[in-house]
Amino acid sequence: MNTFEATFEIVNNLGLHARAASRLVQLASRFPCEVEVANGEQSANAKSVMGVLLLCGAKGTRVRVIATGEDSERAVSEIGALIASRFGESE
Amino acid sequence: MSSEGPNGDDASEGSGVELRSSTSLPLPALVLTGIAGSPGYAIGPTWVVDVAHAGVVHRSISRDGIAVEVQRFERAVQQTVVELREVVNTSSVGGAETSILEAYILMVCDPTLMASVQQRIKSDRRCAEWAVDTVIREMSLTLKQSENRYLAERSHDIEFVGERLLRVLTGKASGITLPEGPTPFILVARDLSPAETLGLTKDRVLALVTEAGTRTSHTAILARALDIPAVMGVGDILSQIQPGETALVDGSHGVVALRPSPTAIATARLREERYRSVASGLRRRRRQPTTTQCGVAVQLKANIEFSGEALTALENGAQGIGLYRTEFLYLDRTDLPSEEEQYQTYARVLESTAPLSVTLRTFDIGADKFPRSLAAPLEPNPALGLRAVRLALERPELFLTQLRALVRATAHGRGRILLPMISAVHEFRGARALLQEAINDVDKQGLPRAPEIPLGMMVEVPSAAILADTFAREAEFLSIGTNDLVQYTLAVDRSNRQLVRLASFFDPSVLQLVANVVRAGERHGRSVAVCGSMASDPLAAILLVGMGLRELSMEASAIGTVKEALGRVTVSEAEAAWVACAVLSEAEAVDTELAQRFAPRMSDLLDREVE
Repeated sequence: MNTFEATFEIVNNLGLHARAASRLVQLASRFPCEVEVANGEQSANAKSVMGVLLLCGAKGTRVRVIATGEDSERAVSEIGALIASRFGESE
Repeated sequence: MSSEGPNGDDASEGSGVELRSSTSLPLPALVLTGIAGSPGYAIGPTWVVDVAHAGVVHRSISRDGIAVEVQRFERAVQQTVVELREVVNTSSVGGAETSILEAYILMVCDPTLMASVQQRIKSDRRCAEWAVDTVIREMSLTLKQSENRYLAERSHDIEFVGERLLRVLTGKASGITLPEGPTPFILVARDLSPAETLGLTKDRVLALVTEAGTRTSHTAILARALDIPAVMGVGDILSQIQPGETALVDGSHGVVALRPSPTAIATARLREERYRSVASGLRRRRRQPTTTQCGVAVQLKANIEFSGEALTALENGAQGIGLYRTEFLYLDRTDLPSEEEQYQTYARVLESTAPLSVTLRTFDIGADKFPRSLAAPLEPNPALGLRAVRLALERPELFLTQLRALVRATAHGRGRILLPMISAVHEFRGARALLQEAINDVDKQGLPRAPEIPLGMMVEVPSAAILADTFAREAEFLSIGTNDLVQYTLAVDRSNRQLVRLASFFDPSVLQLVANVVRAGERHGRSVAVCGSMASDPLAAILLVGMGLRELSMEASAIGTVKEALGRVTVSEAEAAWVACAVLSEAEAVDTELAQRFAPRMSDLLDREVE
């Protein structure tokens, strides 16, 4: 199994709130691989909004994205790009 | 209609509405305050929606009952998704407003939620509603404990999802029931979900009043998008209100009046009328520059805290950013912002504001704003302690990081740097030396920057105002921060509500200090501005123009009103008012003097709250 992992900083002002979390989940769900998001010791299924929301990822939090299986490399990099784009929020 | 407004009522608003209390009880008028959620006024009958938490049955189930409960839960999930989808499809509001509903849909059928609820049903042998209630409470508690206030508030989103599920499970009618007939009303509820809010239309709902919620809650955001006045967080209104009785809602100030007197209704109608005409007139004129009646230009700029606010400020007609409070980049986070992050943020503000200028104030950390990334020193008197430029000089590595980011950002527009809380000349000189060091660093790296970077200072400590001549020789521009200047001059803690009457910017001592700074600026050819709440008060703004000020910076929402007020006076009238006020000995006398001279011609701009 090929596993990819990368760490990204949450840069949008509002952090991983409901709308941002749902964007992340929608993106992760497009990939066949398993995707996990972790904040410190707490980790969540990246295909679950509640899970992502409960990570309490405020602005400045560094989250790890770990994907295992088919297309895992692309999943990690696209999620990283989404986080860096502030989830499309103007600020 | 029994109590018409004196200036001809707007027929589209409240036609056929019984304006007097419809109850026979002679209850006295009651004014309740909440949070201004969405601006505007409304007068009309109330409709109370009782969406009390659906009573959750706590029923233990047998082993045989597990399958039934799991199935009930799964059906409830499907049904809830269908209902939410319907709201999304029929909503006329798009973009960010419906995307929250899309998020709710994902949350309802979320695998984590599903697994936890099924777990509760299977191993704890709880009925579906009990299981949902337990899981939702746990999840919302986790978010509530988040140190980030915005995320903590998002626990409402989870509770909303739970509420929708419980409603379907308990078979209670979904959504809110509106009264029959064409009469528009003021909707009063414990809480309204975004989905419920989206279902409302302006022709049926005059205003919203809720016990729960804050300015940043989704319901408030939607009310603003729908242009429906709203007051949130009005504690305990449901127990005080007689359903159907008339209320006044002032969504601009967050005030609700129940059982208002005919006089109060007439006044509010007038204000509503004025609010509408002023608001539309201000919108029309926002692109025009501000001048006095005699044609003298006055620059009105905006104070901002977040980079995204720059655009809103410009839309409100700001002629630049007069005060960008950069410390907000340091707050609400656990680490320090890097030079690169700061540079990107400042550059965005400069770019979006260009060709207009941005005054970037270096961090005013300390006192009431201390980031978690820096160990807050325990001080008995933080307002007089290690804050702002004092902290910057104490921690030069921290300050240099910011200065380098600021210097680099000047390549992207017209920027100037402002130092907060300067109280002695050596502080200004120390900061200037560090700025030079930052400039040298940037140049050594071969990075671009503006050739000239003006360095100015806030005048907010009395020592700086008294020695304004000395400081005007050193600083390239001066900006008077009236909030702190009032607090330090009058020795009044501005957060102490009991002392609020003492903390007036009309106090003659404060006025003398401001005038002293203005004169020093004139003598040394330095520009002087006023930022702080004094600039956003229409009467005070006139007085400042009378003193000789030609640049004022304020929160963006006040620009329109101040612009309109200044357009109705001439410079000589303003100067005469200052001459008259300069000899008065009490703040109240100054207030009265200004009101006598100018209030009659700007009563529409001075309205404050519905009483």
